[in-house]
Amino acid sequence: MEQQFSLTSELRDNRLIIATSGYINNVGGEAIATEFNNHFANGVKEIILNLAQSKVVNSIGMSFLLEILDQLEEVGGKMVFTNLDPAVEKMLSIMGLFKFAGKEASVDDAIKSFSSQ
Amino acid sequence: MGNVLTLKMELPKVPDIELVALEGLDRLGKFMEIADEKIGEAKILVTEAVINGLEHSGDTNPRVTVEYTMTNKELVIFVRDYGKGFEPASIEEPDITSKLKSKHKRGWGLKVMKSMSDDFRIESSATGTRIVIKKLLG
Repeated sequence: MEQQFSLTSELRDNRLIIATSGYINNVGGEAIATEFNNHFANGVKEIILNLAQSKVVNSIGMSFLLEILDQLEEVGGKMVFTNLDPAVEKMLSIMGLFKFAGKEASVDDAIKSFSSQ
Repeated sequence: MGNVLTLKMELPKVPDIELVALEGLDRLGKFMEIADEKIGEAKILVTEAVINGLEHSGDTNPRVTVEYTMTNKELVIFVRDYGKGFEPASIEEPDITSKLKSKHKRGWGLKVMKSMSDDFRIESSATGTRIVIKKLLG
C-alpha cells in the first residue's frame, strides 16, 4: 500500500528543496504549498521538488502546485521537478505544468540548471 | 489470449480509499508481469476515476463500484457511481494558462483520464455515472 505523505525540506543558497514521500493527494499538495509559502514569505523564489518517493499522485494534489507556480510567476521565480516517476511525469505533462516549470533527472541537475541561467 | 483476471470492489467514501483499488491493481499487474510504467499510468487513471465518482456524484451516501478486467495485453477499468449524474459535454477542458490565474485550480480529472487512456467512455444519467477506460498494456 502506498505510504502516507510526508516531506522534508532544506534551503541551499536560498533555494528551497522539498523531497516528498508517499501519496500526493489534497493533504500532500496542501502540505507542499504550506512549506513553500513559509519560505516564499522570506524571499525564496526558486524551488526544487523532488518526487522520487511519490509514485502516486492525484490531480487535486497537483492543483496545489499551480498555486505555487502562480506565485512564482508573479515574482519571476521558478520551480523544477526532479526524479519523476514516468507516469507522474506524463500526468504533469498532460496538465501542461512543464510550460511553467522545469524538470530534471536529479536534484543536482536541477541546481545546475539554476546556476546555468 | 492467456489469463483473464477480474477484480471487483465497492468503495465507500473514506479518506484515501482509492489506495485500496490501487493495491488490487498492483497485485494483478505483478502477477501478469506488466511493466511498472503501464501500471503506474493505470494507477493514475483509477485514482482520478474513483475520486471523480466519490467527490462529484452528488450522492448522499457516496460509493463507487470499481471493476478491472486485465489480460497481458490490456486493462479495462470500470468505475460506477450512484449519484445524480452530469452532462460530460458541459465540462470545460482546463487550460494551464487560465488555471494559473484562476481561483479554481482543480478540475483536471477528466482531461487526465482522456489523455492518458487508450479509450475513454463516460455515460451519465440521473441514476449515476459510468466510466469505462481501456489501457493497453503490451
